[in-house]
Formats: sequence, structure tokens, C-alpha cells
Amino acid sequence: MNSSFLNNLLRFVVLLLAQLFLFDQINFMGYINPMVYLLFLVLYPLENKPAYFMLVAFFLGLIMDTFQDTGGAHAAACLTLAFTRPFWLRLVFGEGYAMKNIKLLRSPLDRLLLFLILCVNVHHLVFFGLVIFNNQQIIYTMKLTLVVGLASLVVNSLFLLLFKPKFKS
Amino acid sequence: MQQILNFLIKYRNLLLYLFLLVIALVFTVQSHNYHRNTFIHSTGRITGSFMDTRSGIYDYFDLQDQNQRLSEENARLRMRLLELADSLPGPEQTTYFSDSLPYTIQPARVIKNDYYKTDNYITIDIGMEQGVEPDMGVIAPTGIVGIVDIASDRYARVISILNSQMSLNAQIKGTSTIGSLKWEGKDPYVMSLQDVPRLAQVKKGDTIITGRQSTTFPPDILIGTVKDARLVENGSRYQIDVALFNDMTDLGYVSVIKNRDKAARQVIDTLGTNE
Repeated sequence: MNSSFLNNLLRFVVLLLAQLFLFDQINFMGYINPMVYLLFLVLYPLENKPAYFMLVAFFLGLIMDTFQDTGGAHAAACLTLAFTRPFWLRLVFGEGYAMKNIKLLRSPLDRLLLFLILCVNVHHLVFFGLVIFNNQQIIYTMKLTLVVGLASLVVNSLFLLLFKPKFKS
Repeated sequence: MQQILNFLIKYRNLLLYLFLLVIALVFTVQSHNYHRNTFIHSTGRITGSFMDTRSGIYDYFDLQDQNQRLSEENARLRMRLLELADSLPGPEQTTYFSDSLPYTIQPARVIKNDYYKTDNYITIDIGMEQGVEPDMGVIAPTGIVGIVDIASDRYARVISILNSQMSLNAQIKGTSTIGSLKWEGKDPYVMSLQDVPRLAQVKKGDTIITGRQSTTFPPDILIGTVKDARLVENGSRYQIDVALFNDMTDLGYVSVIKNRDKAARQVIDTLGTNE
């Protein structure tokens, strides 16, 4: 039970409750509900085993699915985000990200935002693809991904700015 | 053997990913199928009580509007009652609480509502303990809402009419023209009435009501008005756009309808098709 684990657990619970009680009820312009719970997956500690990470992501997704009656769409989206995260990390932070012992919250803001954009996109694309589940409505799926993704991005960035420790360089 | 083990160890993350992904996809496909009891749904005790609390908070913002709607409905019902008063056999109370009524109605509160997906579901705050069973109809003050899909002890999940699996028997008011009502996706204010014969008389603004063939809904429940009609399938059938009376994006209180004669009518229906 180290502080990183407790920190993580706290983030899991707080973000999930914020999602369920606040951000699922926004219904901006009828259907735009930003997804903040995926920030947990974005900020999940880098040093933990990928298998654990995927399992945690899967169950986080299933919890969201039970609340939204989306079958397994959240689970699949979270899982895919968890599985592809090392790839995006490599893209954003360079080949040796694992060696450098990076703390995500302490990394430069521009990199963090770029990383966030990639993660939100992957998650939303899989999620809306499975929720709409109709290959004749690809345009609608794209539109939802783009619009809701933008909202998620804005809200998640605000969260990041709030919780990011002050720069010391 | 060694090679297989090596392979498994080398690709264990990929294999775990694929394994969990398949589970998630199975759940997803199930959720897009009608009447497949899904494993992941929102009527569990914990989930339900969370959403109950949530709607308890958010309902305050909507109280005035809901009150308005309910009192309007009350007034409408009272007017119908006055109209019927002469023909009722006894005092109004005896009629309401007697067992001879074909339909019983139970009030419920919507604690979760969706409308932007292809397959939308609603969760209400009554369940089997209050006598809710799958396949009961659900209506709101101004029109139909959906059909009960899963009922747990204290909560029930309703298939919204805004669900691609939904198909309802509907009728144009004042005629005997029937069709099946479906949702095309996207617009939560419009549904389409399909399989209406070419010779039917359809006018813009005609009222659409539930048909007599439905065992879920009583006949003559309001649905919407004709917005647009066009001939499809080489001009053999009409497809009618129906503007719903109900605002499906803003549901407060609904009524769950139990049909006493449902089982009997279904038996008769199967007799008919077997011949």
C-alpha cells in the first residue's frame, strides 16, 4: 500500500463519481457529455505491469457500461486505450520513455496535451463505433467522436491544469 | 512445447487484450439484440441506487416543468372522466379499484434516459416488487415511451422507442390503416411508420395512435403526427415520418401498463398463425 497506489485509487473513485454525477448529466446541445473518467487511464502510472493495467481498464469500462447500458462499448474502448497507450507514449515522449522514469503529471504541458488528444481520440472512436454499431452511419460516428472528443479534451485539459503540480525547471 | 510456451509468454499482453476485447464485443453485440438478456445492465441494486440518488438531485431543476405537465394531464383525464361520468356503473372509486379493468397502470420515475445512441434504454425506479414484468408497455403523459426489457427487484430497464430493435403496431387515427413504427436513428423527435399500403389515405398532420393488434399497449394511445410521407419500394408502400408528441429527451414521470388479457390474446394470436 504505497502512496502511488492510494493516489491512483483516489483518482479512480473521484473521476468515476465526477463522471456519473456531474459530466453524464450535462447534455450540452442535447448529447454532448464529456468523458472525464478516461483521465484515470491517461495518468495511470507508467511503471506498473501492462496486464494489470488492461484488467483495471476493462473493469473501469464495465462499470461505465452498467450505468449507461452500452453493453461492452466502454470496456472495449478503455481496453484498447490501455493496450495502445505504450505506443502513444513512445510517439510523444520518444523511444526511451520507459528508461527516463517520466512522471506524466510533471512532464511539459504541450507533450501532455498531445498525449491526451491521442488517447481521447482512440477511446472515443472505439466507443462511438460500438455504440452506433452501424457501418452506414460512419459519418455520424465521426461527428460524435469529433464533437464529444473536443468537449472531453477541453474538460480533461482543465482537470490536468488543476491537478498539475507547478513547474520547477 | 517450449516454443508454445515462449509464444504465449512473448505475446501474453496481446493475447490478454484480444481475450478481453472479445468479451467486451460479445457484450456489445448482445446489447444491440432485442430480447437477449444481457449480463451488463443498469438495473442492479448498486447501479440503481446510484442513479436514483443522481436523479433525486437533478430532478429539482425540473420540478416546475414536471408539475405543469402532470397537472395538465390531470385536467385532460378529468375532462374525459366527466364525459364518461353518465355511463359509469357506480361511483368513480369502485371502477378504478375493481378487478374488471383490462389494464392496470403503475406510476414510475425515470432515473436514466438516453437518446443519442442507436439502441437507447431507459431505467425506471420500480421493479418486480411493484409487479413490473418484461414486455409491459410504458407511456408518458403525452405519448408512448417504450417496453420493459429487464426487471430486477427494485428497478427495471425499458427499451426506448428510440431503439433500432423496436417495432410497434401503429395506426392512423380515424382510419383502419396500420403500419409498423420504427426509429431510423439520429433524430430523437422523429420516428417512421413503415409498411403502409399505397392506397391508404395519408394527410399531413394526421394523428398516429397505437394500433389494436398490440398486446403491449392499449389502443388509442397517442404517438405523434404525420410530418412527411413518401412512396418507397417502387411506389408500393408509404414511409411516413412521424413527429412524436413526447419529448423523449426530457422524461420525468411515466406509467407502466399491465394488460390483464395479454396471455389470453397471445394464445389466440398463435392459434391464428398456425392455420
